[in-house]
Amino acid sequence: MFRDTTFTDLDRDNTLAASAELVMDEEAFRAFYERTARGVWAYLTRVTGDRQLADDLLQESYYRFLRASATHESETHRRNSLYRIATNLAYDARRRRRTTPSLGEDGTEVERAAGADRPGEFERNADLARAMAQLKPRERALLWLAYGEGASHRELADMLGLNPSSMKIILFRARRRLAALLGGRDGTS
Amino acid sequence: MERLKPGLECEMEAEVLAAIVESRWANTTMGVDLQAHAAQCPICADVVAVAGAVLSEKHELRSAASVPDAGRIWWQAQLRARREAAVAAGRPITAAQLIAFGCAVGLLGACFGATSEWFQSGLKWVAARIATLHPADLIPSVTALLTEHFAIALTITAAFLLIPAALYLAVGRD
Repeated sequence: MFRDTTFTDLDRDNTLAASAELVMDEEAFRAFYERTARGVWAYLTRVTGDRQLADDLLQESYYRFLRASATHESETHRRNSLYRIATNLAYDARRRRRTTPSLGEDGTEVERAAGADRPGEFERNADLARAMAQLKPRERALLWLAYGEGASHRELADMLGLNPSSMKIILFRARRRLAALLGGRDGTS
Repeated sequence: MERLKPGLECEMEAEVLAAIVESRWANTTMGVDLQAHAAQCPICADVVAVAGAVLSEKHELRSAASVPDAGRIWWQAQLRARREAAVAAGRPITAAQLIAFGCAVGLLGACFGATSEWFQSGLKWVAARIATLHPADLIPSVTALLTEHFAIALTITAAFLLIPAALYLAVGRD
C-alpha cells in the first residue's frame, strides 16, 4: 500500500536535493574524471604504496571534490584542488595505518602488476618503487607532482599545504635524496 | 657549456626537464648538448635521474590502472550526498526536541514553585533579603546566600553549563 505524496514530502525532497547538490553536472564530471582519474590513481598508488588503498582513496577524493563548495577558475585550479584533497586523504590514511605496514608497502606488488609483460620496465620501476618507499610521504608526493604531473612551485605549495618560499629547498633535498637512492647511495647526505 | 650555478638550481634545469618530458632527450642534437651539460652538472644529473624514473613509472601505472567507471562514481556520489543531506536535515529536529524538553522541565519547575509552600517561603525570604540589601552589602550577602544554598546554586550552574554542551553534542556532531 502506497502512502500519498504530500506537499510536505515534495518540499522536503526539494530541500534535500538542493542541499545534496554536487559542484558540477554529470557531463562535466565525466569529462573531468576521464582526464584525471588514471593520473590521480597513479599518484595515490605511489604516495601510499598500496594499490587497494589507492582504489578506495580515489573514490573518496572525487566524492569530496564534488561536495566541496569551492568554485574553480580553470581546469588547472580544479585539478590542483583534486590533488590537494587526494594528498590529504593519503596522509590521513598513512597516519592511521602507521602501526600496521600494508601489503605492497615497498611498491613491489604494484610493479609486478604494472610491468609483468615488460621485464626491463619492471626491474626499473621496482627500483624506483623501493627507492620511493624510503622517502617521507611528503617527499614522494612532492617529487611525483613536480616531475610526474609537471606542477610549478606555487602549485606544489598549494597542493601540499607548504610555504611557497621554501619549496625550492624542499624539492632540491627530496630530489637529491631520491637520485642518491636510485644511484645506489644511501640518500642521507 | 659553462652555465653551472652553485646552489639549489641550475638555469638549464627547466630545459633539461622539458627535453625529458617531451622525449627530446636522447635523439636530438639539443638532447646531446643537454646530456653533455647534465654530465657536468650535479643538479641536472639529479633532475634527469628523478624525472626520467618518475615519468616512466607514471606511464606504466597509468596504463595498468583500472579505475571505476565515471558513471558509477557519479551515481555513488549522488546517493551519498543525498544520504548526508537527509542526516543534516534531521539535525534541527533533534535541536527542537532538546529545546522542548528544556521548556517542559522549566514549566514543571514553575508549577512546583507555584504550589510548594517551601518554595514560596524561600522566595519571600529572598525578596525580604533583597529589600534590605544595600549595594555595599551586596557582595557579602551573595556570598552568604551561596553558602547557605550551595546545592541549589550548584544545580543551576550545572544546568547552565550542561544544556549548551548537550545542544552542541546533539547538533554539532557529524
